[in-house]
Amino acid sequence: MSDVIVIGGGPAGLAGAIACASSGLNVTIVDEFIKPGGRLLGQLHQEPSGEWWNGIKESERLHQEARKLSVDIRCGVSVYNLEKENHLWNVYTNSGTLTAPFVLVATGAAEYPIPLPGWTLPGVMSIGAAQVMTNVHRVQVGKKGIIIGANILAFAILNELQLAGITVDRIVLPERNQISQKAGEPEEVMKSLLNAAHLAPSPLLRFGSRFMRRDWIRKIGLNFYPKNGVKVNGTPLQLRKAAIEIIGKDHVEGVRIADIDANGTIIAGSETIYEADFVCIAGGLYPLAELTAVAGCPFQYIPELGGHVPHHSETMETPLEGLFVAGNITGIESGKIAMAQGTTAGLSIAKHVGKGAGTIDEQLQQAVKNVRTVRQHAAIQFNPEINSGRSKMNQLWDDLYANNNREDSPKKIV
Amino acid sequence: MANMGEIVICRCEEVTYGQLQATAEEHKCTARELKLRTRAGMGFCGGRTCRPSLDRILESVIPNIAPGEIPLKYQPPIRPVTFGTVGENQ
Repeated sequence: MSDVIVIGGGPAGLAGAIACASSGLNVTIVDEFIKPGGRLLGQLHQEPSGEWWNGIKESERLHQEARKLSVDIRCGVSVYNLEKENHLWNVYTNSGTLTAPFVLVATGAAEYPIPLPGWTLPGVMSIGAAQVMTNVHRVQVGKKGIIIGANILAFAILNELQLAGITVDRIVLPERNQISQKAGEPEEVMKSLLNAAHLAPSPLLRFGSRFMRRDWIRKIGLNFYPKNGVKVNGTPLQLRKAAIEIIGKDHVEGVRIADIDANGTIIAGSETIYEADFVCIAGGLYPLAELTAVAGCPFQYIPELGGHVPHHSETMETPLEGLFVAGNITGIESGKIAMAQGTTAGLSIAKHVGKGAGTIDEQLQQAVKNVRTVRQHAAIQFNPEINSGRSKMNQLWDDLYANNNREDSPKKIV
Repeated sequence: MANMGEIVICRCEEVTYGQLQATAEEHKCTARELKLRTRAGMGFCGGRTCRPSLDRILESVIPNIAPGEIPLKYQPPIRPVTFGTVGENQ
C-alpha cells in the first residue's frame, strides 16, 4: 500500500508527488491521459523576459525527478469515486481500487462551454482541445479558423496555433445571453484583458491600458474601438463583433457574425458570414473538483477562483482528514503556481505523517511563501482579482476550521 | 437571439435550451428535478460539458442559491465505467 495516492499527473500532482517522495513517503500517481504532464504538455509561449516556456520540457523534468524518487506513475487510469473507509481513502479506478491514508487531488480544470447554434458540428472544438491536438498530438485542426471568446487562454493558444502555421482569421465575442453572460459584454471583456495588456502585442491595447482602467474612458475607448479590431499577432481581435451561429452542412463552413454595441447588443442588419473550416470556443476554465465533491468536501462559490472550489487552507489541506488539494482545483492560475502549490501540499502531507524531522515546519512555511512569490511575479493572471479570491478562501478557512481544537490546526503564516 | 431555444445545451442527451427553460418554468424545478425531467447532465460525459450552462439556467429559476452549495449534486461514478468495474467483478 502506498502512503499517498496523487490523482492527476500534471504540474501540481507531479510536484506534490516529488515533495512527498523526497520526504521518504511511498507515492502512487494516477492520471487519465496516456502520459504524465497534464496541461503542461500543451504549453509553449514566450515570457515577457524573452525566455521560452516549454511545457513538454517542464513535464519531462518533473517526470524524471519523480521516477528517480521511485514514484509509481500509472497512466490511462480514470478515477470514478473517492471515499473514506476505516481511516483509509479508497480510490476507485477503472483498473481496480487503490487504498492509502493520504490522497492529493490535483485534477486541474475543465473548460466553460459557450453553447451557440451549430456548436455540435464537426470542426467545432474548445480552445483547449485545439491546443492538445496541435501541441500534444501534432494534428492540424484546420486551415483557417475563428475563435469565439476573448480571454487570456484564447490568446495563449492563438499564439501556439500560429506557431504551428495554422491561420486564425479573427477572434470575436459570443453573442451576449443568459449563458455567455460577461463573455458577451465588450466592456467586461475589455476590463479583463487590460490586466494582461503589458503583454499585448498591439500598441493600442498597451497604450490604452494605462488610462483605460477608468470606467468612463473605457466606454469611450469601446465606442471608438476600430470596427475591424486591433491585431493580436496579426489576427484581428474584434470586441465589437459577436458570433450568432456556426454554419455548415456536415462540417464547419463558416460563422455568422454581427456587429454589436459597447454593451453587446446586436446591431440589426449587420450580419456577415465569414468562412472558416474550424471554430474554437474559448469560455475560460473552471476548477474540476468532482472527486472532492463525491468525497464529501464542503465547497464555496468564489468567482475570482473560477467557480466552486473545495474548502482548503493555504497549506493545501481540506477539512477531510488525509485529503489534500493542489493546482487548478483550488482556483484557476498558471502551471507555475500549480507546481508551487503541489510542493506545498506534498510537504503538508509529510508533516501530517510526521516526516521531515525538525525542519518540516520551516520547509512548509517556505513553500507557502513561495506560492505567494510566484503569484506576485506571474506575467499573466487568468483572473485579475485572483488575490481577492485567495483571501476569501483563507478567511473562510480561518473562520471555519483554524480555531477548532484540532491538534494540528494550521498556524497563520505571515 | 432568434433561435436561442434550439441551441443544444446537453450534447450527450441532446437537450435544448428551450426544453430546459420550458421545463424549469412549468414545474418550478429544483436542480435535481430539472435534470431528471430532461436528462440534461445525465449523459456519457457526466455533465462535464453542460454543467456550467445548466447552473446558469438554474440561477434564473432558483434565485439566491447559497455560495456554499453546488446546484447540481455530483454523484459517483464520475466517469463512464462498466457494470463489471463498479461491481468489482472483473
